[in-house]
Amino acid sequence: MPAIRVQDLSHSYGHYQVLRQVTLEISQGTCYTLLGANGSGKTTLLRILATLLRPTSGRIEILGRDGVTDKTLIRRSLLFLAHGSHLYEELNALENLQFALALRGLFPTPRQLKLVLDRVGIGAFASMKVRHYSAGMKKRLSFAKAMLAAPDILLLDEPFTALDHSGVELVQDYIREVLNRNGTILMSTHDPEKARVVSQQVGLLRQGTLHPWTWRQKDAS
Amino acid sequence: MFRHVVQWVVWKDLLTEFRSRETLSSMLFFALIVIFIFSFSFSMNQQAAQELIAGIIWVAFAFTGMIGLGKSFSAELQNDCLEYLQGSPAAKGAIYAGKVAANFMFMLIVEIILFPLFVIFFNLDVIEQISLLLLIFFLATFGLSAVGTLFSALTVQIRAREVMLPILLLPLVVPVMIAAVEATKGALNGDPLPMYQQWLELLAIFNVVFTVVSFWLFDFIIDA
Amino acid sequence: MISKVVRRLRRFQGWFGGLAAGCLVAGLYLGLLASPPDYYQGEVARIMYIHVPLAHTALLAYTVVFAGSLWYLWKRDPLIDNVCHAAAGLSALFTALALVTGMIWAKPTWNTWWTWDARLTSFALLFFILLGYLMLRTFIDHPEREARYAAVLAIVGFLDLPIIHFSVEWWRTLHQPQSISLRGVSISSGLLIPLVIMSIGMSLLFAYMLILRTQLLYLSRLLETKRGRLLSQFHFSKADP
Repeated sequence: MPAIRVQDLSHSYGHYQVLRQVTLEISQGTCYTLLGANGSGKTTLLRILATLLRPTSGRIEILGRDGVTDKTLIRRSLLFLAHGSHLYEELNALENLQFALALRGLFPTPRQLKLVLDRVGIGAFASMKVRHYSAGMKKRLSFAKAMLAAPDILLLDEPFTALDHSGVELVQDYIREVLNRNGTILMSTHDPEKARVVSQQVGLLRQGTLHPWTWRQKDAS
Repeated sequence: MFRHVVQWVVWKDLLTEFRSRETLSSMLFFALIVIFIFSFSFSMNQQAAQELIAGIIWVAFAFTGMIGLGKSFSAELQNDCLEYLQGSPAAKGAIYAGKVAANFMFMLIVEIILFPLFVIFFNLDVIEQISLLLLIFFLATFGLSAVGTLFSALTVQIRAREVMLPILLLPLVVPVMIAAVEATKGALNGDPLPMYQQWLELLAIFNVVFTVVSFWLFDFIIDA
Repeated sequence: MISKVVRRLRRFQGWFGGLAAGCLVAGLYLGLLASPPDYYQGEVARIMYIHVPLAHTALLAYTVVFAGSLWYLWKRDPLIDNVCHAAAGLSALFTALALVTGMIWAKPTWNTWWTWDARLTSFALLFFILLGYLMLRTFIDHPEREARYAAVLAIVGFLDLPIIHFSVEWWRTLHQPQSISLRGVSISSGLLIPLVIMSIGMSLLFAYMLILRTQLLYLSRLLETKRGRLLSQFHFSKADP
């Protein structure tokens, strides 16, 4: 059973068609990279897979569950780190993590929280309001959330933006770790070189149509 | 699980408010200005005040409530937090319940701070009726926040949301307003309870109906 | 590709239009010319034959919006959303006409254009709710979300209407005990027959207009989709060498 299966998926915003007949299969334990220009439909595809948008036509299946009827089940095993950081500015890092995980039914201990914040390198800012965080620190905090939530499926929208060199390495390490425990990752990026190190498959979205590629084909183009 | 989500949403909203004090301070200040404008525009003497005061109190409370309700979900727009609420496995009804509880608390806190000001400015006699008045405030505020939270979520992602919230919400809460004004008037006049008991019953019915309906419909607003 | 439902509707729309015209002409003849004038109000009461059917039809139309909204939330069929949208516009139209005729009737009988009667007030609030509904629809860019939000508003508004009506009625009996009730017009059978015919005719007219308007909204949605597809093809062909 593939972890993510997308079949003839189309989506339009009003009269503008963003995705056309996208078909895609990602097996468990692999990382798939989505490339594509701005406005090619990458985020829309991720949002549909995260069950945030209903597809106009076609169907999606995540771990064998239908994306429209079994939303809650999918949401339990899936985490979407989107373009927005999903953080509350008035809360500090610890409180943000506690709230976000409580909505998923998880209640990490203070020790776990501290360990994970240290790992993503913001342990020293644990009780600082997120309002004062830089974009890179917010990104690291989002990954701390992912580490604690430990989802089977991880959707990443531009995971490398705003991160410094050590941040990129941290994310790459984390991706390897998820793959090692048979997790599945789908990410969109404008930075194929950083994705390539950890990702087995790659696809190019162009005008809403998905073209499956290999990294070698990509080099040739 | 359900109870935990409700608690955490309330905790989050209260903590945010405790740190920023944005909602409560703007509500309080707005209400204070409304009271002053009313007293100037009606140039009230004691007798006129007795007639009009219940209406003024509730107009002030309702408009102040709009501010709190509007902020309730627009605060979730920053960093796309609303998206996380939608995509989390938590029951959307629990999120609704938490938001209603938080909005209800904010509105009630503002009302409890403001009411003494009405008593002072308009020289009201309330000591004997205070528990009944609190019951009326409690019921009517709950009705406003139950429907208002649904419409706060409904208007937050559309254009012109600041205007659309009162435009859509106020016609729907007319029964709450009528009942609250009539019951408050009765209580302030010192009428015996049976004379305005029907209004309390109306409020209770409204609350039950629209808590259930909004709880169910909230799913369709927040989730695709 | 035009949906089967719309094609079938188009085949039957003439019947609705014809029957509506027949009923309305017959009802107007019976009501305005053939029936005796009202015992208390004289000729003035004849506006009832317009006003009451308009009010009935406005409520019927809103009931259609309500049922359609429930149906939409269940099945998510965009055609149902078009029906709701069309019915809401018509309901607003009939509500406005009912309010205007009610005011015209009120002037000679009660010597005032407006009175805070429970029915008049509820209708005014219904009108506000419907205007809010139509306004809401223009403020949302995503059609799927527009349909969903509009359905939620329609459901809440519909369930609120009886509560609004009762609260205004209680409020009114409290403040104007000797109120002039709309029920003052006694209905004899001579008046009832043209009234029923007019009500049926008006409902048929609503059905006819609903069919036309649903088609209009449906076709403009098709057209938008097609236009978008052509436009994006055009853009892409220019972008791709």
